[in-house]
Amino acid sequence: MNFEVPNFTPAIPEIFVLSMACIILLLDLFITDKGRILTYILSLATLAVAAVLTITLHTPEAVYTFSGTYVADPMSSLLKVFIYLTAAGVMIYSRDYLLQRDLFKGEFYVLSLFAVLGMMIMVSAHSFITIYLGLELLSLCLYALVALNRDSEVSTEAAMKYFVLGALASGLLLYGMSMIYGMTGSLDITVVGEKIMLADHNNIVLIFGLVFVIIGLAFKLGAVPFHMWIPDVYHGAPTPVTLFIGTAPKIAAFAMVMRLLVEGMQGLHVQWQDMLIILAILSMGIGNIIAIAQGNIKRMLAYSTISHVGFILLGIMTGTTFGYSAAMFYVISYAIMALGGFGMIILLSRQGFEADKIDDFKGLNDRSPWFAFMMMILMFSMAGVPPTLGFYAKLAVLEAVVNAGFIWLAVLAVIFSIIGVFYYLRVIKVMYFDKAEDHHPITAGSDMKIVLSLNSLAVLGLGLFPAGLMALCMTAL
Amino acid sequence: MTLLLIVLIPLLGALLVPVAAARGRMGAAWMAGALTATALGLLLSLAPQVFAGEILVSSWAWMADIGLYFSFRLDGLGLLFALLILGIGLLVILYATYYLSPKDSMPKFFAYMMLFMGAMLGVVLSENLILLLIFWELTSLTSFLLVSFWRHRSDARQGARMALAVTGGGGLCLLAGILLLGEIVGSYELSVVLASAELIQNHDLYAPALVLILLGAFTKSAQFPFHFWLPHAMAAPTPVSAYLHSATMVKAGVFLLARMHPALSGGDLWFYLVTAAGLVTLVFAAYVALFRHDIKGLLAYSTISHLGLITLLFGFGTPLAAVAGVFHIINHAIFKASLFMAAGIIDHEAGTRDMRRLSGLFKYMPYTAVLAMVAAAAMAGVPLLNGFLSKEMFFVETLALQRLDEWAWLIPALATLAGVFAVAYSLRFIHDVFFNGEPKNLPKVPHEPPRWMKIPVEVLVTLCLLVGVFPAFTVGPLLATAAGGVLQAPLPEYSLAIWHGFNEAIVMSLVALVGGVLFYLLRHRLFALHARLSPGEFGAKQVFDGLIRGLLNTSRCITHLLENGSLQRYMALLVGAAITVGIYAAAQHGAVNFSMSGTSIPINGVAIAILVGLILAGLGTVILHRHRLPALVMLGVVGLCVSLLFVYFSAPDLALTQLSVEVVTIILLLLALHFMPQEAKADSGSGRRWRDALLAGGAGIGVAGLTWAVLTSPFETLSGFYLEQSVPGGGGTNVVNVILVDFRGFDTFGEITVLAIAAIGIHALLQNLLIKPNEPGRYGWAPAKPPLLLEVISRPLLPLALMVAVYLMLRGHNEPGGGFIAGLVVGIALVMQYLASGVEWTQARLRVDYFKVIAVGLILSLLTGVASWIWGYPFMTTTFTYLYWPVVGKFEVASAMVFDLGVFLTVVGITMVILAELGKLSGPLAPRPVQNKGESR
Repeated sequence: MNFEVPNFTPAIPEIFVLSMACIILLLDLFITDKGRILTYILSLATLAVAAVLTITLHTPEAVYTFSGTYVADPMSSLLKVFIYLTAAGVMIYSRDYLLQRDLFKGEFYVLSLFAVLGMMIMVSAHSFITIYLGLELLSLCLYALVALNRDSEVSTEAAMKYFVLGALASGLLLYGMSMIYGMTGSLDITVVGEKIMLADHNNIVLIFGLVFVIIGLAFKLGAVPFHMWIPDVYHGAPTPVTLFIGTAPKIAAFAMVMRLLVEGMQGLHVQWQDMLIILAILSMGIGNIIAIAQGNIKRMLAYSTISHVGFILLGIMTGTTFGYSAAMFYVISYAIMALGGFGMIILLSRQGFEADKIDDFKGLNDRSPWFAFMMMILMFSMAGVPPTLGFYAKLAVLEAVVNAGFIWLAVLAVIFSIIGVFYYLRVIKVMYFDKAEDHHPITAGSDMKIVLSLNSLAVLGLGLFPAGLMALCMTAL
Repeated sequence: MTLLLIVLIPLLGALLVPVAAARGRMGAAWMAGALTATALGLLLSLAPQVFAGEILVSSWAWMADIGLYFSFRLDGLGLLFALLILGIGLLVILYATYYLSPKDSMPKFFAYMMLFMGAMLGVVLSENLILLLIFWELTSLTSFLLVSFWRHRSDARQGARMALAVTGGGGLCLLAGILLLGEIVGSYELSVVLASAELIQNHDLYAPALVLILLGAFTKSAQFPFHFWLPHAMAAPTPVSAYLHSATMVKAGVFLLARMHPALSGGDLWFYLVTAAGLVTLVFAAYVALFRHDIKGLLAYSTISHLGLITLLFGFGTPLAAVAGVFHIINHAIFKASLFMAAGIIDHEAGTRDMRRLSGLFKYMPYTAVLAMVAAAAMAGVPLLNGFLSKEMFFVETLALQRLDEWAWLIPALATLAGVFAVAYSLRFIHDVFFNGEPKNLPKVPHEPPRWMKIPVEVLVTLCLLVGVFPAFTVGPLLATAAGGVLQAPLPEYSLAIWHGFNEAIVMSLVALVGGVLFYLLRHRLFALHARLSPGEFGAKQVFDGLIRGLLNTSRCITHLLENGSLQRYMALLVGAAITVGIYAAAQHGAVNFSMSGTSIPINGVAIAILVGLILAGLGTVILHRHRLPALVMLGVVGLCVSLLFVYFSAPDLALTQLSVEVVTIILLLLALHFMPQEAKADSGSGRRWRDALLAGGAGIGVAGLTWAVLTSPFETLSGFYLEQSVPGGGGTNVVNVILVDFRGFDTFGEITVLAIAAIGIHALLQNLLIKPNEPGRYGWAPAKPPLLLEVISRPLLPLALMVAVYLMLRGHNEPGGGFIAGLVVGIALVMQYLASGVEWTQARLRVDYFKVIAVGLILSLLTGVASWIWGYPFMTTTFTYLYWPVVGKFEVASAMVFDLGVFLTVVGITMVILAELGKLSGPLAPRPVQNKGESR
């Protein structure tokens, strides 16, 4: 059997991140706690260089390599860059938090980098196996990250739940993939797509394969009724890890949906469309309704994530290129908003105080009018109030849904959004109208303050000038 | 460009206000005033063109991909509203400068005010509907800031939140409606939309689009049943009420009705929806207004009622009614703003707004009183004032309405009734506040306000008079242009004269005036009656609060159901959902086709016996799972049945592997279980057990069915390739082994590496763990000696087993066997020694560092791969040749055998490492050598 040397160029960013993660892993063993800042700097540098590599290697056409199991195309480049950005944001926001709690360990950075690598693979994967590899690399890192604070009972319990449920879902996904493989005889997404186009669409095995793949995807995205892990994990994990789980992996999961359902199973669009509709409605409904009663802001944001996932699914459900672009726009917007939202929780927390209750935001306006304003922008954006980024995301998706002829669905989405406005407003109300119970000054470092401000302002700025990002999302598909 | 500037000046100017405030308190006010005046000047410079009938449009692409353009339009309607917004805005700024107390932050107030003004201008000047929506939501947001300006007051906060929730939610409905409209028309540009009335009204989506757009308009304009937020928003500072709740924000709703009039009006749906909402609001709010004791409450309900009147007019859908509607918009803005300002003056100078305490203020502030009385008279519709004219037009229109046939009398009658209420509450406002005896314990002695605070009121009241007396000269051209903007068509015939002769409309006005006075005279009895009839406050606010409470309760309930924190619950949900989705999909799309076709092995008694054994053993495991030892035994039976099945399927290799793996794992499990209680507690109730049984059964049946479907569907198998290539490519007839060590050698290498890592992981986990024998529920090793018979038999077994292993390994390439199986056999043999002779005894004689064994194994495997590079082949290329050994004869040697040896060593090492670590767990009885070895490593 002859063995060709593959074209490594498209995968250079991945190879670089992998090498750096290994180097940092080894290096970290030999540095003392005082010098650990080096790990932090190196990790950030890795992400920066990876971004530069991804952008310089970017080509408008898709390039396949490793016998077609791997692809570098505009979508992968765009999503990867945003993954680096959010991961870098996570690292910057969490430094002080980790330092204060004695969690500033190499593990956090190495696991994060491996998770980033997993996401890059998911984004660029072009075969069932590669997708699964990327997914598991990501998931395993996340399981471990959730349990980063080993002494915390909540964290370990959350990690345990996440692991058990995640393993089950991964199993289902794999089961589905294997059935599709059985029917099509190929793991290559393109070949699978072609075979499915020609296949009998009512074949029970194909349908079940699809169902299990969708269950796996729904779990990773956190769509109802496969969402149970999200609130507990978001709540239980240390806030920086919540921040991480809540942002970049959503982008990667979106890419996975695009590769599996859109590129691989476009032929079964009719079949997956109605499943996605059900998932979307349930996610928006349950997510928004449950979020109302939450007193813990991490849990509230968890449910808000679920409802946002509903919107993303709506965009994908349409089966139109515009719908996909809208969903991509939404997922990127969401990652930026969630980064800011969880970043604010970290900003307010300090040693022995997690600031994870909505009541902890009481009177923020008196303590720091600037950050109260930033939080207000973020909350408005999540609620979808113009002229913030979140509004355009919702608008684009709704338009795609209407264009695809699902009027009732658009109306339903709007109704659920109205319910959603309610709990975001509660945070704003608490910040502006209630008396502060906590009078500690905000002690975060200036780098975090600057980046967090930029993050929130980006939500506003991209809201005022959304055309650029939208155009990127349109050309990426 | 000028249009854009008109909108941007206040919006961006909001940033300048705090800057200007650095130059003193008045700086903010001056800056706000200057900005508003500039915008007004720019608007006036464009006015001649609009009066000439032009429609000015300027457009920039913003997010063209989704049809969003930054485009503005100035026509008659836009001009009218922009004039109201800027003109009254200017007066309100002047008024607010004197109204705000030194404690209030001027820069903040004026900055919010400028933002609101910009948003409002955006609404009325937008050409693009989505742009309009964006500004629409911005007005909700900025009004939220303005209403909650006194944020120390809880009523202000509540009122602001309620206003935002209602109007913001309505805005989202409007968004949905606009999207539908865009879907119908294919464009969001007003010029296109307004010109496609026929297309829109004949479209299937017309009804949902209309309902959604009306929801937006009604929530904003406080139409019944969404009116409740407006009275609560009265907690705002009075300049805000004067501006937002008389002239601008609440008018946005009726503006939208006017704007969409050409495109949406005319049909029955429009007529019934809009007319009904307007009529109910008109009468109901006028009635409620009478019973308010707070001046601003009275004015708020009066505003709602007047908005209802305007809505009603637009609902008629006739051109004349639209003209009347526009006219009333102008008049209402003028008199209501002045009334709010007057109310603010009274509040400011007398310290309260309660009409039960305020009385006889005429003596203290005669000048203000006169102004307020004129404005109130305009509100009541007294002749020679502007309110009279538009009300008269309104009455004429109600009479002219042909639509309701025999019920046609209803609308004029109700309109007159509302007129009666309006006169009565206006009278109450005048009489209760300025006359009716002496004030009762006011916080301070009332007096006239500062000069500049009165000027805005004076200006507006003068306008009331001027419009009322000389309508054709003053407001005529503006009204004509604005009405033209609404209709987008030639204007109908109408007359602005004060006197049209003695007709039905005059009779209605007279009835309203006389009835109103009578009503007011009877007020004490009415109040008593009202108090008796409505004992508690019940209204839409209660419904709103109830809804929110209900939502909260639902939310808690669902949380409790779905998210109780129990992993078992989550698993059940996950599996249950998976089954449901599967069934749904199968029912929806799948053609279930269970056939017996396909190449299956015929079923005979042996197969059935094995299967029954397997099922029974599986059931046994589940039933006995709390008794750990029997459960383990059952598990072993399951494994054995599986190996038998493999044999039955003619897969001896798999059977051998399964068998040896089974033995090793069961032994390791036994060791591990030793440290746990022998029996587990039953911690699930029977309900949950049944649920779980159901779920498990469902999943099992589902998977079984699926397997059936897969196995009976035609498929091409991969095995042909391997069967053909095994001998020529890998030099072995045992295909399984050739696949493992040759075709997929790289995989195997990866797998043994993972195994090695797992062993190291177990070592790392257990290394410093010591389980104390006396810990409750846990057990140390039993001190008893192993049975002698076992000990004796096990010793000769070791060399025999090793022999078998070598045999299995050597023949592995061609016959069932191989490195993996051989490794397991050696592992079992060594474990036997530990079990039979004790750890101490074995450890003393078997001084092997199993980590080294693992390492050697891995390195050997790696070297096999690397070696192929030396001969210029890619990684892990194998080669083989045939040797002739004495006795044995022809023997095939493949480089893959070295690899297999690596696998063998690794497997042995791993088994033993895990075993040794488990063996060390219970401290005191653990033999010393193992401990030392642990330290030396």
